[in-house]
Amino acid sequence: MARLNPTTRLTNHPAGILGGSGAILYVLFIGLPVLALLIRAAQQSDFLDAVTSDTALTALRLSLVTSIISMAVVVALGTPFAYLLARSDQLWAGVVDSMVELPLVLPPVVAGVAMLMAFGRNGLIGSEMASLGITIPFTTTAVVFAQIFVASPFFIRAAKLGFQSVDRDYEDVAQTLGVSPWRTFFRITLPLAAPAMFTGLGLAWARALSEFGATMMFAGNLTGETQTMPLAIMSAMETSLDGALALSMVLLAGSIMLLVGLGLLTRRRWQRR
Amino acid sequence: MILQNITETAAKGWVECRVGDFNLQTEWEVQPGQVLVLFGPSGAGKSTTLRAIAGLLRPVRGHVEIGGRIVYDSDEGTWLPTHERQLGYLTQQYHLFPHLKVAENISFGLPDRNSASAKERVNELSNLLQLDELEERYPWELSGGQQQRVALARALAPRPAMLLLDEPFASLDSELRRNLRRELRVMLAQSPVPVMLVTHDREEALALGDSVQVINEGRTLVTGEPLAVLGQPGQGRIARLVGVENLFNLTIAERNPQDGTMSCIGQGLRLEVPLDSRITEGAGPEGDQDRVTVGIRASDIILAKEDLSGSSARNRLQGEVIAVESRPPGYAITLKLSSDHDPEMLRCHITGTALDEMGIRVGQQLWAVFKASSCFLVDEEQPTESSPD
Repeated sequence: MARLNPTTRLTNHPAGILGGSGAILYVLFIGLPVLALLIRAAQQSDFLDAVTSDTALTALRLSLVTSIISMAVVVALGTPFAYLLARSDQLWAGVVDSMVELPLVLPPVVAGVAMLMAFGRNGLIGSEMASLGITIPFTTTAVVFAQIFVASPFFIRAAKLGFQSVDRDYEDVAQTLGVSPWRTFFRITLPLAAPAMFTGLGLAWARALSEFGATMMFAGNLTGETQTMPLAIMSAMETSLDGALALSMVLLAGSIMLLVGLGLLTRRRWQRR
Repeated sequence: MILQNITETAAKGWVECRVGDFNLQTEWEVQPGQVLVLFGPSGAGKSTTLRAIAGLLRPVRGHVEIGGRIVYDSDEGTWLPTHERQLGYLTQQYHLFPHLKVAENISFGLPDRNSASAKERVNELSNLLQLDELEERYPWELSGGQQQRVALARALAPRPAMLLLDEPFASLDSELRRNLRRELRVMLAQSPVPVMLVTHDREEALALGDSVQVINEGRTLVTGEPLAVLGQPGQGRIARLVGVENLFNLTIAERNPQDGTMSCIGQGLRLEVPLDSRITEGAGPEGDQDRVTVGIRASDIILAKEDLSGSSARNRLQGEVIAVESRPPGYAITLKLSSDHDPEMLRCHITGTALDEMGIRVGQQLWAVFKASSCFLVDEEQPTESSPD
């Protein structure tokens, strides 16, 4: 395959003509709505009031708390799970592996309905849980459940790829040096897979923050209990566009901060580029 | 002092391994400070043997002793995991931990990495291997030779009771390789541990080995002195494995005990070769004993444009150059020996300068000259055994 010489002029080259026009269209397509959002928000006189309103702050707090809990659960359980998937060549691992991708293709609304069927009052195990005094639907726990359901694949898949990229010979060499398999995992495997895991965590977190459909179906839209930022934006749209705009700005800023922050963590000081 | 005693114990054992369809049987014993070279083509089972000793793969049966401790015994049910075997293990790809600096790599296997004694050990090894300036660098900032030095320092730091070297210098250029071999020798003189070295490089086996074990298809063919095994190998299959370029099947025509030589003839070919003691004694059935296989190394042959009739060399053969191939650092010339029918080929190695000065080209007539003592008799395998190829 011929690689493009950096000095080659791209003006009369398929990569230049097709790629160039594609790039321009794409930047416009993504950039224009974001720009529009910024302009409209800037024109608003009561922007700060809207951002600091009770509803907005409550929703923001709930979004942060639930997504942090979700990510803690996903990382704590997903990391060893991803390691197992990366290292196992058994048939069942392949089956479980494709199950991890299911939430990616399942519409979130369907996921919400499915969870209701499982954990709802009349659900598959929901009635037993209710008799034990445990109710999940339409609680903050349900918000966390919904977020884990839709967001975990992003982390698990990235972590699995990260672990797969760690040459097993590193682990072998570490053990010949007298380091136990457990310590080898924490001193070699985990640090080497960490950049991939941070990338996955960033995507999963962004997905959890933006989660709407499953939360709507399974957790509802109760202020202070299940109304996260996306739900608050939808509710605000019904009364005032300005409130929705302000909330959208906050969520946009949060997403960008997440992107930058994790980008910094992902950068490996121990490798070129 | 106690540690010193542990490290100065021989490493020995035997294993039987099965990896897929591949079966391996090896046995070894290495004295402290000695290097046992496992020599053979790729896929012979050399690395598998090292991995079995390290406990990185589980043998079917066997017994492994390192530093006087039994780390594996299938009959007793003994199995120490890799990290309890007190090993140093060096690979061709170095496998330096990319997220750790040089000093952190070296101290990786030390029990208390931040202690004063650990720092002292790192300094000691960096000094010895000329890594002082590099301690704060990451592995990707090092050259191949430096990386292998760090890997060696890392393997030596926890004072292993045995060193396993799996083609450690294969990806380095020849000068670096020579330097590192010398450093390894110095290292062994300082801390004499048993060493097993896997290689398929003859030069390396001769330079580092105290003994050589030739392995092919999971079986040990021969164990012995490097020169005895690799210089003038006894068995046909070993001769081919260690790369004797010229092998001829000949019949003894005449014995000259006063010269210690005999004349052998084959397809239009007559060679003076050393008299075989076994044949002089005249044991065994007649006739059968007259067939011999003669080996000549390509580098032992002198090429000349004219017949060196006035020389002391007993063998002078005329032939036509049919191929000139580059074989760094020199060239390999193939001669088709003059014969009425079915001529034999003779491979000769010469330097590039010789090639230029003589102006050798395909089609040219040349004389190949070599001493009778450059020829050696190869014991072909018994016909009952499976044919080698």
